[in-house]
Amino acid sequence: MTQRDQMSGSHDCGGDAAAYVLGALEGQELEAFRTHLEQCAVCRDEVDAFGGVVNVLPIAAPQQRASRGLRRRVMREVRKEPRRAAHPGRFGWSLSALGGRAWAVGGAACAVVAAAVVVGLTVSSGGGATVVPARVIGIAGTAQLRLTNGHAELVVHHLTPPGRRRVYEVWLQRGSSAPVPASVLFAVSADGDADVRLPTRLHGVSTVMVTSEPLGGTSKPTHAPVIVARLD
Amino acid sequence: MQTRFLPGTATAAKAATAMFTLSRSLNRLADEDLMELVREGESRAFEVIFDRHGDTAYSLAYRMCGSRARAEDVVQDAFLSLWRSGTRYDRTRGSVRSWILSVVHNRAVDAFRREATRSSLQVGDEGLAERLPSGELVEADVERRDDAGRVRGALRDLPVDQREVIELSYFGGFTHLEIAEMLSLPPGTVKGRMRLGLSKLRIALGAEGCLP
Repeated sequence: MTQRDQMSGSHDCGGDAAAYVLGALEGQELEAFRTHLEQCAVCRDEVDAFGGVVNVLPIAAPQQRASRGLRRRVMREVRKEPRRAAHPGRFGWSLSALGGRAWAVGGAACAVVAAAVVVGLTVSSGGGATVVPARVIGIAGTAQLRLTNGHAELVVHHLTPPGRRRVYEVWLQRGSSAPVPASVLFAVSADGDADVRLPTRLHGVSTVMVTSEPLGGTSKPTHAPVIVARLD
Repeated sequence: MQTRFLPGTATAAKAATAMFTLSRSLNRLADEDLMELVREGESRAFEVIFDRHGDTAYSLAYRMCGSRARAEDVVQDAFLSLWRSGTRYDRTRGSVRSWILSVVHNRAVDAFRREATRSSLQVGDEGLAERLPSGELVEADVERRDDAGRVRGALRDLPVDQREVIELSYFGGFTHLEIAEMLSLPPGTVKGRMRLGLSKLRIALGAEGCLP
């Protein structure tokens, strides 16, 4: 542990760690503590130690049997939605290099390049697949949506991981209405790659977004999107 | 009598035998190995995971939500999100059970914050077991029951003011500011009690061998 680690500003070291692992911090206080955690080994140690305690708290709940009906409903939905695992780098025609250059030009020029990429791939795929490049904002990596017969896959490469105890969550926005969860959470491989199928068709959806959220996801985005793909 | 369906029946019997063998094989796998299969989209591995942890997940959800219907919604939502997500389970970050329960916990808290209608009475521990029909009270196994007893005992042994803030935040999903308002305490006092309580729990549960 370095001196910089230990002396990380004016934050009250350890004062928020317990509240953090209990999920009792929110808003700016939560963000400030997350930022502080990246620099403070003392608080990281305390979070790890308290995290072990919080992990066993659930078994303090009186144990009960989940109903057969619940098990049936869950497994029925699971079997209805055969899921493909994330296969990093599965596509031989990966656009990461081309996409990376496209994002560098920015603004209107970026849109033109992106449109050219879409057209080029639509033609080259030959299977009716359309690839929509997505903007990656504030983190490293590239992303695109692959649309086939109304179904969509989000493919990311070299994306920055979502962080400890966090996950990427996908949102769908129709027009100017509030984004709704796509019921898709994902992490990335060690190389930052993932290939995620969206469970719903994108009829009427104007924008697909991705935010970093706590493990388990949320019902409303709590952060600015890190990936944005516009479909209109 | 003509046995025209016999070949089909034999095929079905073979398939059933193969299925039974597969199920038995899956049941022998550790959670971490099952998660590798789940990542590949193997629904039967996911079923085994549900069978192993569905009761604990439901128990946590019921403890938090206080109603069977809401608890079932939370558990269903949590398990389906796990299935749909394709999220890589990272075994270096803890057990599969802890991972699943953290997802259930987050989903329940999220549901609370969406509704914003719960009261502190909902999360009171006292009398919860008595409100349930006795036939519904089960323990997954002796070992888990022993661990559960130790954790409950350690919680019970905490000073009331520390136990209260831990239960309100973890099982009730309240933020420290909400708890401070509810108990008419400064927010710093709530955080201090949380820290003291978790520190004592850590020592007590460590001594009982309940912590890794």
